[in-house]
This record gives sequence, C-alpha cells and structure tokens, in this order.
Amino acid sequence: MEDISLKQNQQLLIPLLWIGDKEEISINVKLIGNNSKLTILGLLVGKNDDTLQLRINVTHKGKDTKSEVILKGVLKDRTKVNFEGLVKIENGAKQTNAWLGSNFLLLSDQAKGRAVPSLEILENDIKAGHAATVGKVNEIEMFYLMSRGLSETQSKELIVEGFLQSLMNRFPDKEKMAALRLLGNASTRYTRSANIS
Amino acid sequence: MSNNALVKNDYKQSLPKGKQSLQSLASNKESKIVVKDYKYGFFKPETSVFKTPKGLSSKTVEAISHFKGEKKWMRDLRFKALGIFQEKVMPTWGADLSNINFDEIYYYLSPTEKKVKTWEEVPADIKDTYDKIGIPEAEKKFLAGVGAQYDSEVVYHNLKKQWEDKGVIFLDTDTALKKYPEVFKQYFGTVIPAGDNKFAALNSAVWSGGSFVYVPKGVQVDIPLQAYFRINAANMGQFERTLIIAEEGSFVHYIEGCTAPVYSTDSLHSAVVEIIVKKGARVRYTTIQNWSNNVYNLVTKRAFVEEEGVMEWVDGNLGSKVTMKYPSIYLMGKGAKGEVLSLAFAGKGQYQDAGGKVFHLAPFTTSTITSKSVSVYGGRTSYRGMVRVNRGAKGSKSFVRCDALILDEKSRTDTYPTNDINEEDVTIGHEASVSKIGEEQLFYLMSRGLDEAKAASLIVNGFIEPIIKQIPLEYAVELNRLIELSMEGSVG
Repeated sequence: MEDISLKQNQQLLIPLLWIGDKEEISINVKLIGNNSKLTILGLLVGKNDDTLQLRINVTHKGKDTKSEVILKGVLKDRTKVNFEGLVKIENGAKQTNAWLGSNFLLLSDQAKGRAVPSLEILENDIKAGHAATVGKVNEIEMFYLMSRGLSETQSKELIVEGFLQSLMNRFPDKEKMAALRLLGNASTRYTRSANIS
Repeated sequence: MSNNALVKNDYKQSLPKGKQSLQSLASNKESKIVVKDYKYGFFKPETSVFKTPKGLSSKTVEAISHFKGEKKWMRDLRFKALGIFQEKVMPTWGADLSNINFDEIYYYLSPTEKKVKTWEEVPADIKDTYDKIGIPEAEKKFLAGVGAQYDSEVVYHNLKKQWEDKGVIFLDTDTALKKYPEVFKQYFGTVIPAGDNKFAALNSAVWSGGSFVYVPKGVQVDIPLQAYFRINAANMGQFERTLIIAEEGSFVHYIEGCTAPVYSTDSLHSAVVEIIVKKGARVRYTTIQNWSNNVYNLVTKRAFVEEEGVMEWVDGNLGSKVTMKYPSIYLMGKGAKGEVLSLAFAGKGQYQDAGGKVFHLAPFTTSTITSKSVSVYGGRTSYRGMVRVNRGAKGSKSFVRCDALILDEKSRTDTYPTNDINEEDVTIGHEASVSKIGEEQLFYLMSRGLDEAKAASLIVNGFIEPIIKQIPLEYAVELNRLIELSMEGSVG
C-alpha cells in the first residue's frame, strides 16, 4: 500500500507497469495542497494465470487540484484483473479537475476483466469524469489492416502495440526504457517495433 | 396541457390545519419551497377495516395470510421468507437505514371491505384522494386500465373491455392468486426469490396488493396500463407485489405512480416487481416515484428476457427520503435487449441511490443504461450499476452513460459502476460526467433576457431531456414543472 500526500504546487507522475509480477497493487494519493497535480499511468499486461487486484484511491482536498488516472490493460490467456478505483472530491476542493479512465482489451475468451471506477463528489465547482471500456480488438481496424495484406496475427499485434504505446509514450524516459525492456521480456510480440520509436 | 390530471388540484384546500405547521417546520427559505411544492402531501383520516398490530412477528404474517384466506403453499412461503428476513443482515453499503424501526411499522392495513370496478363504488374518502391526484380523469383519457392501491389493498381495478376480450389479464395480485392459482404458482418468486435480499424477503413475508398482468401471445396493448400507489396511514409499510408476464410477441406498457402524505414519522415502501418477457415480446415499465420526504423506498425489480425479447425500465425518482432501487434485466435468450433509463432528483434531506443492472447471459444480447441525476439543497444522488457479461455471451454489447448535475456546495453525487466482463467477444463502454451548470450557458441565456432561476431550470430541463422524452407526455409536463419549482432560488 502506497500512501502519498501532495503538498501545494506539487506534481506527481506515477508510471505503473504490471506484467504479472504482483498480485496486488494499491495506491492511495491525497491531493492536500492547492494546485497540486497527480497523474497515474498504468500499463497492465497479463498472461497465463496472472491475476491482479488493483486499487487506486485519489482524494481531492485542496483547491485547483488536478488528477488523471489512465489504465490500459491487455489481458491474455486466463488473466484476471480486478480494478477498483475511487476518486473522491471533498467539499471545498473547488476547481478540481479529475479524470479516471480504464481500457481493457481481452485477447482470450477465458480472460476476465472487472472494473469499478467510482466517483464520490461533495463539491459542485468541479469537473469530473470517467470512462471504462472492456472489449476485444476493434473489428474495423482489423479489417483495414488485413485488407492491406497483414495476417490476422500481425494485425492484432499491431493494434495491441499501438494501444499500449499511446500510453507508454507519456512515461518519463527512464521508465519508458524500463517498460520497453520488461514488456520485451514479457511478450516480445507486443513491443517488436516499439524499439524503433 | 389542459388535461394534465396530476396538477389540477391545489393540495392546500384539503390540508388539515395541524399539518400546515409542517411547512413552518422548514427552517429556511429553500426547504420551504420543496415542502410547499409537494402537492400530494394531504392525508385522510384512517378508516381501516382490518389492521395488524405494530411490529413484525410470525403472528403478523399469520394474521395477514389468514385474513386473505390463502392456501397453504403461500402461507408456507410467507413464513419461510420471514425466517430469511430475520436472518439476513441489513445492507452494509448505500444509504443509512439504521433509523428504520421495524417494530414501529404497521405491516398490513385494509382500508375497505372489497375491491370495486367503478369509481362510484369507491368509499368517499379514498375516492376523493384519487380525484385529487386525477386518476379517474386520466383513466378516461389515456389509459387502457387502472389499478389503485391504498395502503395495503387495491381498492379499485379496471381494464377496458377491448383488452379483456383479447385475453389480457390486469388484476390486483391477491385476486389473481385466487383466480389463476396455476399461472401464479408457476411464476411467483421465480424471478426474485425471497432469499434474494433482506427487503425481498420482507416483501415475500408480508406482501399485499400490487398488479398482476398477463398478456397473451401476440397481443399488443398499445395504450398504457397504470397502477397508482398511495400510502395514507402514518408509520405504514406498503409491500406490494407485481408480476407481469408477456407471452411471445406481445407488448405492454405499465406505468406506476406513487405518492404519500407528509408525516413527521417515517413510512416504508418495499415492493417486489417480477417480469417475464417471453420470446420476441416487449415490456416497458415506467415509474414516477414521488413519495413524500418521509418514505424509505427500498424496492427490488427484475426482468427475465427470453430470445429477441425487449425490456425497458424507465425509472423516475423524485420523491422519498431514501431510495435504493436498481431495476435489473437478465438477458437470457439470444438477441435479447435491455434498456434502463434512470432519472433521479435529490433535494433537501433526500438520498436517491438508483441505477440499473444488466446481466448478459446469452450471445448477441445488447443493453444500454442511461442515468441522469440532479442534486440540490444538500441532496445526494448515487448511480449504482452493474453490467456483467458471462462467458459464452459472444457478440454482446453494452453501453452505460451516467451524467450528474450538482447545483450547490452542499450537495453530493456519486457513481459506483461495476463492469464485470468474462467474455472476449464483447463491446462494453461506460462513461460518466459530473458538472455544475455551465457559466457560459447561464450567461448566454441571461443575456437573452431570462432571469437566473429561469435560465438554470431551462438548462436542467435540457440536461434531463433524453429521459423526459421517454416518459408519457402528461408526466413529462408535470416533471418539468416540478423541477422548475424545486429549483427556484437555487442559484445566485
């Protein structure tokens, strides 16, 4: 359990990478100081019988605070991911801006994804939203790539890669290299061309 | 709309003197508005012909079953349910229910000797109540059938002859149990068994009244049936039980409305609604819940949908002190479809915990949940929802959208969505947004000459429009008006 409090003007970016190495991750951040900012970027790649219990709590207390939580997950084989997120905006946390997003791609009919992105809002002068999607690789995108001569597997790989990369690009350089290395070890397929960028 | 039956009478004329002081109880200007605008807050003297003593025990259950002259199987079912109720703990989530005192509630009160089929035969006091609410008028104009429940019993029930001739059955649940015991036994408690949750168990133990609707194969009941629920006595518990069976290819639209007098003590409304949508049938169930602000509204509603069937819940929650209600849909046959439209409005002292649940249990099933909520004057709204896709429900699609407007600093809004996906070949989306009234929007409207309150209520009405569109016109007009009134003075 990570417990973090942000002071005035403090900015924090948490790059999160999960490749089946842990069964539980829990992050707890309080934006106490005014004008503090939190970004959590999570890449989740599971295979075989990997399971993950992920809990993210974000509490806004200060004014003009901003939080952004984005998760992208690729669930293969019998992977099970249970994500429970809660963004709480306390009374007085004016001008808060909060976003909670999770997108899970299921790559096997035995993979399971559960997402509970909750919001609790006790202040009206705010903006808050969340979006969650769970599904398979987009058929239209697949069709396009295959019409260009790629095989089904290649097309799928390309789409999944793009899906992960869009978030990885926002990682700080050091973490990005680590992510590339780890994902490379975990599943070469999904990062094959990532080294080029 | 001139024939808007619901707005006709001014409640003040009928408000007994003692009750008027309730308004002055309201400590500030805002709450006054809310109380004053509840036009169904009048009450009639209680004239029961049979009433069980306060509190819940096996004696209460025995008395109800005996009074109704029920067969052994129903009596046994009630007793079993009572056992389950006593065993189960109160929900540990959602609203605070610790103030409900189960020993202070009257579980059964029969207001008249018999059910009647014409308004003339309804006892004067009760008839006067429904006249004020506008039911007889509404029936003539735009309904295929009407049922009216007063405390524990349905006092009036009528279905227009053209539908009766087609084999449609629209009865109060107690009469249906006597008249059609086989059909009843086959379906009762199959969609929501007593063990489902504590309040379903309570309902199963002490249920009384509600509607029974049976639509034969292929019959399209193209104008709505309506049931009207009224709690009159203080400290009353209303536990109606509704069962709707739509045979293959049929259609029915059922509307329910609920009101109650304003008392200083709390009442409990805990209904169970079971719906069976057979192959290719479609059922639409519209609720306009406008209980007074002293009613706990804890309701279980569920529909089983077979192949190619369609279930639509339109759930409007405006009244009550606490509502916990999540109409659910089990998509059990290939290609079945479900839709939940949920509208919640929470003012001072109100907590609306509403939402919807959809279970995708068969391939190519689709569902949408749309929730719009408005909280103001310290009210709290929560969207609580669930979308579950079981393995094998290939090609299923679901989209959930919930938007919340929060109008002042004292109010609160929450979103608790659960997406539980166990199948790869699906498309599931969820989106939510929370906001206050946009300043640019306000500025624009005010620059066009509207005052702030008018501009704000216009924006709120626009916000809930996607749901309002789906509500029968006469209710939509009433809802818009209600929200306008409750909003007065909320900004600025």
